[in-house]
Amino acid sequence: MTRKRLINIAFIALALLIVLIWFMPFYWAMSLSIRSKAEAFTVTGLAVPYLQYQPTLENWREQLAVPETSRALINSSVIAFSASFLTLVLGTPAAYALARFRYAPKLSIILSFIACMFGSMLAINFGLSWLIAVPVAGILFIILWLIFSKQNGRSLHNEDITLWFLSQRFLPPVATVVPFLLIMSQLKLIDTRLALILVNITFNLPFAIVIMRQAFMDLPVELEEAALVDGATAFQAFTNVALRLAAPAMAATLMIVLAFSWNEFLFALTLGTLKAKTIPVLMAGAVDTRGIQFWFVAVRTLLAIIPPTILALLAQRYIVRGLTFGAVKG
Amino acid sequence: MTRNSRLKHFFLAPAVLWVLAFTIYPLLYSLRLAFYQVNIGQTDVFVGFANFARAFNDINAINSAGITLIFVLGGVTIQLILGMLFALLFNRDLPGLGVMRTLMVLPLFATPIAIGFLFFTIFYEEGGLINGLIPWKIPWLSDPNWALFSIMLVDVWQWTPFVFLVILAALQGVPQEYYEAASLETSSLFAKFRFITLPVLQPTIILVLVLRIAEAFKVFDIPFTLTNGGPGAATQVFSMFAYRTSRRFFDFGYGSALAYLLLFAVVIVVSFFFSRIRQAYQ
Repeated sequence: MTRKRLINIAFIALALLIVLIWFMPFYWAMSLSIRSKAEAFTVTGLAVPYLQYQPTLENWREQLAVPETSRALINSSVIAFSASFLTLVLGTPAAYALARFRYAPKLSIILSFIACMFGSMLAINFGLSWLIAVPVAGILFIILWLIFSKQNGRSLHNEDITLWFLSQRFLPPVATVVPFLLIMSQLKLIDTRLALILVNITFNLPFAIVIMRQAFMDLPVELEEAALVDGATAFQAFTNVALRLAAPAMAATLMIVLAFSWNEFLFALTLGTLKAKTIPVLMAGAVDTRGIQFWFVAVRTLLAIIPPTILALLAQRYIVRGLTFGAVKG
Repeated sequence: MTRNSRLKHFFLAPAVLWVLAFTIYPLLYSLRLAFYQVNIGQTDVFVGFANFARAFNDINAINSAGITLIFVLGGVTIQLILGMLFALLFNRDLPGLGVMRTLMVLPLFATPIAIGFLFFTIFYEEGGLINGLIPWKIPWLSDPNWALFSIMLVDVWQWTPFVFLVILAALQGVPQEYYEAASLETSSLFAKFRFITLPVLQPTIILVLVLRIAEAFKVFDIPFTLTNGGPGAATQVFSMFAYRTSRRFFDFGYGSALAYLLLFAVVIVVSFFFSRIRQAYQ
């Protein structure tokens, strides 16, 4: 019995050590943010407050008084909240549909759609007016549709559509950043919050669809069927029954998407340089102008990290499920 | 339930149209750019595969590809080994395991840009956290090899908890009866691990591997703030090289071709495991 206890204590000590190592960077950031400027480089080692230096809130006060910082905080919040809310508005119905209805689009029809779209874009590229190219491609597609819909061929299933959405998550963002920049500059949306909201919806929509589909699939169908028997329309069964039951999963998805949007950097750097500057872009800019100032970096680091970290804590029951796109139940 | 109604199209169509407009269209747009020599203010010139061919002769591109490959393979391997080790060690009735799980969640959503800066101060050679605690002076950021390793370490810090939590969740789904039955046959812990734990975990391990590799290929934020690609180009990962080509030199054609090469690399890795992934979402 005592041997077992000893082993247990050894395991707890090891776990404690690992947690301490993993928590160290957070501690260091906090310690750095409450040191005076002179002590930022001179205090070494574990940098215990009161023992090695006198803590001060001066850096925090100075940093929060900078209008740039508060504007970036507002930008980041507005963008993250709007993007995650709209992601759910767009994604939840699609997720529900993929969980409950059966889709069987014919592969041949999808391929002809892609061919028509690609063909018309090629034609426009090589000088044909879009006023001709788009209608011609549209008519061609309708003809192909009518031909193929009568024939038997391979169809796709709901899983394929879900995987198509999921595959967007694997896309390196750098592959779409230049076209986005050019498109947004044509739409005169450069340096606006709207552009960044659009970007973040685009990135997170596949994620929301895949994990909300899983959440709806985990709900018992019988409740919705009972509602239908009682005379509810399919839409009412969705809003009054399924949505309510899936509310916890929706809240978790919202929190995870909020964190993702808050952290997004590459597109924010490209599209939001001044007025729409977000917290990560503000941080990245600190380097070029003033060199690295440890005390400011620490405050800004914490300002950037605290909101998504709190979200991670709140959503922790869903994190394993979320980050594996519903494949592993945490 | 497979009731069909008109509703199903109204539910799915907005999301599909959104992806077509904001993902597929930009992707095609950048595919077009990849085949052109783009000069601001001039008409684009069609150059066929020249941009792609250029990448294979460009020492910077090859260097970045090598760095990215080392980063992905090295980082993901360390994460997988550490995460699995932690999960196996702590998959037992321990007081405080819940607290440990909660604390390990913290790095997952921490803003990568901020993490890059934070680790800059931690790896700082004079007065930084690590060199202040150990008796050696390690050139974390000024030596090319150490700098690449530092970036890997940050990735390991951020993502080992993910591997740990996922594998732990999968382990707790292994029925205890398997081990009880095995106890009748063998007392070897290794045999139990090899013939029960590993086979049961295999799909989860592969899923984690694919997700991590695909994500690691995209790395950009952490080297951007931790080393800014330096010293020299020692940590200029592929995303960063493609981005700089487009944004700093406005060479949109070449930049898009580079981005597509990265996309191909990810597609190859993901499609290699595709049937496994499809099973996970059945």
